[in-house]
Amino acid sequence: MGTISFIKYYISLITAYCKFLFTFILYKFADYPNEIKFAALVSALCVMIILVVLLSIFWMSWLEKRKRRLRDHIEKKFGKGIEYIVSSEASEIMSDKEIQQVFELDDEDLNGSLLKNNREKQMFVNVFYLFFISKRSELSRTENIHTMLYMFNIPDYLEKEVSLGSMKHKVNALSYMRTFKLSISPWVINKLLNSRYMRVQRLAMYSNIMSSSDSALDYFETDFFDNNCCIKDEIELGFSLQRRRKMGLKLPNLARWAHIQNNEKTQCMFVRLMRRFNEIEYCGQLKDLYNQTKKKKLIEEISRTWGYLHYLDCEDMLIEALLTQPDDTKVAIMHAMTRLATGKSLNALLDGFKNTTNPHVRFEALRCIYNYGTEGRALFEELERNASDADKKYFSFFHNPITLEKIRLDKEQAYHPSVETVFNG
Amino acid sequence: MWLTIYYIFCYLVFAYTIMLLVGYVWLVFMSRLAQRQLDVNLPDDETIKYLMQGSPLTPAVSIIAPAFNEEVTIIDSVNSIMQIDYPDYEIIIVNDESTDRTLELLIEEYKLVEVPYDIAMRVQSKPIKRVLKSTDERYSKLIVVDKVHGGRKADGSNAGINVCSNKYFVCTDVDCIIEPMALYRMMWFVINSHKPMIGVGATMLMSNGCIVEDGKVAEAAVPNTPIPMFQQLEYLRSFLISKLGWSRINALPNISGGFGLFDTDVAVKSGGYDPMSMAEDVDMLLRMVTYMKNSGQDFQLALVPKVCCWTEGPGSLKQLVRQRTRWARGLFEIVSNHRKLFFNPHYGPIGALTLPYLFLFEFIAPLFEMTGFLFMIWLTLTGGVNWSAAFLIFGMIYVFSVFISFFVMFFDYKLKAVQWKHTKSSYFKLFVATLLEPFIYHPIITYCSIVGYWRFIINTTAVWTPIQRKGVKKR
Repeated sequence: MGTISFIKYYISLITAYCKFLFTFILYKFADYPNEIKFAALVSALCVMIILVVLLSIFWMSWLEKRKRRLRDHIEKKFGKGIEYIVSSEASEIMSDKEIQQVFELDDEDLNGSLLKNNREKQMFVNVFYLFFISKRSELSRTENIHTMLYMFNIPDYLEKEVSLGSMKHKVNALSYMRTFKLSISPWVINKLLNSRYMRVQRLAMYSNIMSSSDSALDYFETDFFDNNCCIKDEIELGFSLQRRRKMGLKLPNLARWAHIQNNEKTQCMFVRLMRRFNEIEYCGQLKDLYNQTKKKKLIEEISRTWGYLHYLDCEDMLIEALLTQPDDTKVAIMHAMTRLATGKSLNALLDGFKNTTNPHVRFEALRCIYNYGTEGRALFEELERNASDADKKYFSFFHNPITLEKIRLDKEQAYHPSVETVFNG
Repeated sequence: MWLTIYYIFCYLVFAYTIMLLVGYVWLVFMSRLAQRQLDVNLPDDETIKYLMQGSPLTPAVSIIAPAFNEEVTIIDSVNSIMQIDYPDYEIIIVNDESTDRTLELLIEEYKLVEVPYDIAMRVQSKPIKRVLKSTDERYSKLIVVDKVHGGRKADGSNAGINVCSNKYFVCTDVDCIIEPMALYRMMWFVINSHKPMIGVGATMLMSNGCIVEDGKVAEAAVPNTPIPMFQQLEYLRSFLISKLGWSRINALPNISGGFGLFDTDVAVKSGGYDPMSMAEDVDMLLRMVTYMKNSGQDFQLALVPKVCCWTEGPGSLKQLVRQRTRWARGLFEIVSNHRKLFFNPHYGPIGALTLPYLFLFEFIAPLFEMTGFLFMIWLTLTGGVNWSAAFLIFGMIYVFSVFISFFVMFFDYKLKAVQWKHTKSSYFKLFVATLLEPFIYHPIITYCSIVGYWRFIINTTAVWTPIQRKGVKKR
């Protein structure tokens, strides 16, 4: 008896039993009031569900044991080979024969299918994925990984999962394909782009961006991201664009996308991505947006991006904005000025320090002056000499070796390493 | 007339019981849906790490742990918190003017020195005396705040909020044992949310039966002693059915004070924890919800059942009664202080569904039970009981409670969180607790609730007495 027919039999048995029980209870309690009938029915139903839950626990336990056995089997049989392929030992491109030798397979093994069914394939992918993300060396070759995966018919399996599987399977298979840098047929991508699940749509789009031609980026010309953009979208989009750059493909004009979108969150995302991908040539295009928008977060992000990318033409706009923007935005503008550090904006920073009562803004202004090269340091020392008793607490941070570290650190430096040079002055 | 009152009362109780059963079944169903969603949305730990570790967008988190007279466990606890695996976090230990060697031990162990600080008192707390940081690079994440004694955990947590510099903070107890991957899993929900995520909760379990190795739980077992064993079952039911079910419709009523993640900005704007409250965690969450709704902002709340935090629960009946009386008092306080939220659709599903449920089935239930019990005694004395019908109805309630507890075990098994997967003996203990709970544990809790309500009504001064900790077993 197959599994499905067994389950059908099992369900029909339960249904028949339920019918019998309910009829029996209604007959047995025929003379009792409705409340009593109800109590008896609920009790009987609960007992049955308890039995079903118990059986399910045993069933799950059995499935899990079977899964564990299969995992051990796959790891034992192919673990060493996989580890070799993802490690630095396989730093040269290997032929099919060589990979075959690594896995100690002979031609006979290859004639039949190495992995008998989808369950084994799925487990192989899981095992390989864990090795891939935990033990992969920078020196390992993607070509070898692909040869190995094709040897085990994994790309076909994953593509089938992507096109025919349930939502969960689709998402998993797509994620695996992206991680292993496997290309997906355009027709499959097109189908997924129209999926009813947002998550599948987005993953398909990111996969497309990674490898496809320029048309892959057309999606951003629409309001695809409006109202539905989260930090993970930014991380995934960043990864896809990064891989695209590594493959030598053209990167899009992110400033243009920032213009097209209506949603503030999405606009900020594209502006942030600009600094990640060092798009200095498009910085000028943000000027209109900066002048026209009233969105605080967007102004902050544009200011930061200009600062990080060292876009000198914006300095006047920043000085002007410092006078009008609210406190949170002021801090971002002051940071940008410090990164530009042309000398022109030092007085604006000093005004920023003097003309506010907000302690956070005062501290940040001082921090920016301190980091503003030689001129800034001289001004800082002068301010310290003339500091009032109330202001002295701000300066004490700059003399303690522990807090000084914090003053020099900027969490977003990882975005654009060249900013280190700005702070070195 | 008495007969009419009698019939009305009987039908009222019956209707109430049916509503309660329906409510539970609905929560079980919602919880299952939430788990299915979790299966799709929460990938394995390796994938989460792979995506978040290298990204500059991964939000930083501050972990706040107030401590008062914890000299026995403080170093182990801080070391345990330091085991957390996350790219960007700071640990803020708030010393609430301990009278023992808690602060001295911290200073000695982590080579702490006083550093300048300029802290805006964003939320109400007792004054901060000094801030200490380590001169050792290995402990650069650690900040110790020494403050004037406030006497409540909420006051310490508020001082921590004033010091924290990150967008999100986690509030925990210093004796809690946290899973190393906890922050990754919780923050995964934050970075995945399309709406501003204002709070993320985790599952709390008893550490009484666990074995700890290097600050991590090596063996998560259900406690052997009856009181913690019943509590384990109760906690599992509360987190895996009730809270998880509510989280499915974005109506989580509480993020446990033992381990919860919050948006700093929203928490500050809502006034932080209330140092005078007996249920400061529920109180703050409800104020955060009120703030978001009143300012017209959409928000998200989540519970991640695969994140687990172990805490030492009351080991004796006396301690349990004291704790639960305080909780009952806190519940009364919530009902009284936040009454405008109850049955109010303006506050979304929390106002329209969760709080009415809380009011009807958690707040009123002990009163109903006590009245029913007294009524039953009266009927017995007057010979008015139809015993066969009474047994059948009692049987239904008992079987239903077992049915719910079986679902708890089923969900616990299904969630398969690696570290807290219970062994066969643990499931056996849970099974025994399931069968005995309605007769032993539940009446105690009902009694505590009545006492707690009474103390709130007569306005006795609330005394917060910490649980006497025995510590966990170490390998």
